[in-house]
Amino acid sequence: MHSTGLNTNQIMRQVIYALALGVSASYIFFGWGIVIQILLGVVSALVIEATFVAMRGRPVLESISDGSAVLTAVLLAISIPSIAPWWIIVVGVAFAIIFGKQLYGGLGSNPFNPAMLGYAFLLISYPLQMTTWPVDFSAFSQAINIIFNALSFDGLSGATRLDEVKIGLSLGNNLASIQVHSISQAWINAGFLVGGIYLLARKVIFWHIPMAFISGIVVMALLVLIFDSQTHLPVQNHLMLGGTMLGAFFIATDPISASTTPKGRLIYGFLIGVLIVVIRNYGGYPDGIAFAVLLMNMTVPLIDQYTQPKVFGRS
Amino acid sequence: MSSQTYPGGVVIANPYPVDQVKIIQAPLPNKVVLPLQQRIGEEAKSCIKVGDRVLTGQVIAQTEDQFCVPIHASISGIVTAIDKQAIPHKSGLKSTCISIESDGQDEWIKTQGCGSDFLHCDRQTIIDYIQHSGIVGLGGAGFPSHAKLNKAIDCHTLIINGTECEPGVMCDDALMQYHPREVIRGVEILLHITGAQQAIIAIEKDKQEAYQSLLMFNHNDRISLTQLPTKYTSGAEKLLIKTLLDVEIPSGGFAADKGILCQNVSSVKAIFDAVIDQRPLVSRIVTITGDALTPINVEVRLGTSFEQVINLTDVNNQAHDYRMGGMMMGVDIETTQMPICKITNCIFVNNKTLKQPAKECIRCNTCNTVCPIGLLPQQLYWHAKSENIEKCTDYHLSDCIECACCSYVCPSNIDLVSYFSFAKALDKKQTADQERIDIARDRFEFREYRLDRNKEERSKMMAEKKQALKEKMAKDKEQGLEQTDKIAQAMARVKKTKEDNA
Repeated sequence: MHSTGLNTNQIMRQVIYALALGVSASYIFFGWGIVIQILLGVVSALVIEATFVAMRGRPVLESISDGSAVLTAVLLAISIPSIAPWWIIVVGVAFAIIFGKQLYGGLGSNPFNPAMLGYAFLLISYPLQMTTWPVDFSAFSQAINIIFNALSFDGLSGATRLDEVKIGLSLGNNLASIQVHSISQAWINAGFLVGGIYLLARKVIFWHIPMAFISGIVVMALLVLIFDSQTHLPVQNHLMLGGTMLGAFFIATDPISASTTPKGRLIYGFLIGVLIVVIRNYGGYPDGIAFAVLLMNMTVPLIDQYTQPKVFGRS
Repeated sequence: MSSQTYPGGVVIANPYPVDQVKIIQAPLPNKVVLPLQQRIGEEAKSCIKVGDRVLTGQVIAQTEDQFCVPIHASISGIVTAIDKQAIPHKSGLKSTCISIESDGQDEWIKTQGCGSDFLHCDRQTIIDYIQHSGIVGLGGAGFPSHAKLNKAIDCHTLIINGTECEPGVMCDDALMQYHPREVIRGVEILLHITGAQQAIIAIEKDKQEAYQSLLMFNHNDRISLTQLPTKYTSGAEKLLIKTLLDVEIPSGGFAADKGILCQNVSSVKAIFDAVIDQRPLVSRIVTITGDALTPINVEVRLGTSFEQVINLTDVNNQAHDYRMGGMMMGVDIETTQMPICKITNCIFVNNKTLKQPAKECIRCNTCNTVCPIGLLPQQLYWHAKSENIEKCTDYHLSDCIECACCSYVCPSNIDLVSYFSFAKALDKKQTADQERIDIARDRFEFREYRLDRNKEERSKMMAEKKQALKEKMAKDKEQGLEQTDKIAQAMARVKKTKEDNA
């Protein structure tokens, strides 16, 4: 006899479905790139996962069908620039699955979020490709040409808003003179926010991490604004730029690499939010979700150790 | 009355509901098999021989252990065997059993009791009757009732557990519906024994008929009835106390420490039978349920085979999965050639299904949200799987009540609770091994110490002896000198005498 709730495979699938709105928003603004990246990522993830699971002598079909490799690939494909060359996503997915998951013992044993490990690897190894973002809609043929043939089209690529802010500030410009808003990013973030709320409603994720994550960003962003409102982004821009909502509802909530206790999840989410603002404001990279998540992944055993819930009959 | 609930637990409707709960009287079995090993305590020794005729209610085995209860013949007839047979225990091991072939007479032996005038009996006498009638906790734990009573003899509150929270089990529900008078009278006996100020009968809200029938028969203002929300694990003793009285029994502690006594409602009825009707515990109500048959409740003599009881209802002819005990805490069994015991409250007969294989744990934490004790099952699982008992202890493995809520909700279909019972067994073994090692080491160290001590003592003794000898020799020498002197003087005297004579 077993509960009729979602099983592990269904949970993975629900998360993938919930990404649809954010992905659609990205498609509306930037065209076919993201679709091609996701397809590339999923195909390579399945091939790599199958190969490694077979090498480890584990049941291949079971592993592939659990949806975890596909989810990793989709998350990574969404995180990278949609006009990155094809091998970026392939290399990233390979790193994520091989070094992020299989070498640790497969599903459930990885201490780090595989997608974010892949992302960090790509960002450090291929900074140019990883920071060239689309700025306009690309048609299917254009996207194919950019991704597979390394052709570039004028006016299609550039830096993200967070990037521009960082560069502008580093050149000594006043924040008032820099464009800090981005309609497209706000819509994409809104898409992921709605998807996240869907996951909460379906009880696929719990509220602790997203809430704490967003609170962490808000608190830290307000804190730095007290010191200097000229060179720091307002709170709402932190929330609606970059990968904030994707991170809050889809990345940080990866249960395997997150803290497992209710209190621990609040601490974990909050500190990721704080770290994101710290990295965005003082770090070398325009966005900091991947690094914030990876850093907090490392602290999970410690957090779990000290946040055990009260056990019945014990004080 | 506070109805403080606790976090966790799961809400599960009866998977095989019936329109009306009834009790069927099973026909007298041709043969019964009675295991000598009770749930708790040492194995009883048979006090009859093969070939003896025994009467219903006659003691056929007992122990000297005051903690244990004797075993009674549940039918009258001839003892045909005393040998090892399969018993309903999760170990699957065989145990010594007494087999009795019925003579169809069901002739009862006369036993002692108080009769309806129990108020004139003193408490210890009644407790003795309860012990000698073989009454144990019929809810599933099988803890001897007299032992519990002795521990909580001066309790202030009595809790009668009629929650029957295990989904699918209906035997307590049926008992409360059809024997309310006996239950209320039984509670009065317990009130008399313990002198408790109040007794609370706890019933889950989905058992309205049982609640109403008890309500109708309860005219005692020290006895109150409380309805609890239908939630699995609400019947677990410590959680029930928390819900009813907002008292948290500390880990490792007992309800008796706080002046509370819990008894299962079926045990209370059995106490009534023993004390007032003077009948030892020889039968019980068993729920037979599952998707392979029409669910029934049967009052059946102890020792009747599962198979015989199952065949009292319209079971289909397909292959079956069997399970005894509750849906959540019960045990899957392979055979139905086993005797009904005092703790057999329910038998599940389901059409055979393929078990879904377990997947990896994704640490989703669903188990944590349902654990009524507040444990972290996924962390415990991780450590139990790697047999890291020390870590399991850090995560309070011993507090796990094995309610199986975590296994029930696990999206990866992991049977978490089986890992926990395994780890507990391993912990027990390691502790026992460690104790043996400690004893052996202590012994060895003591031997070394003893040898050293002997050696030292001996050398000390030798030295002393040597010294004494030396002293003696010196003394002897002195004495020797004196002696020589004396000889010389004597010689001189002799010489002088000789000279004088000459």
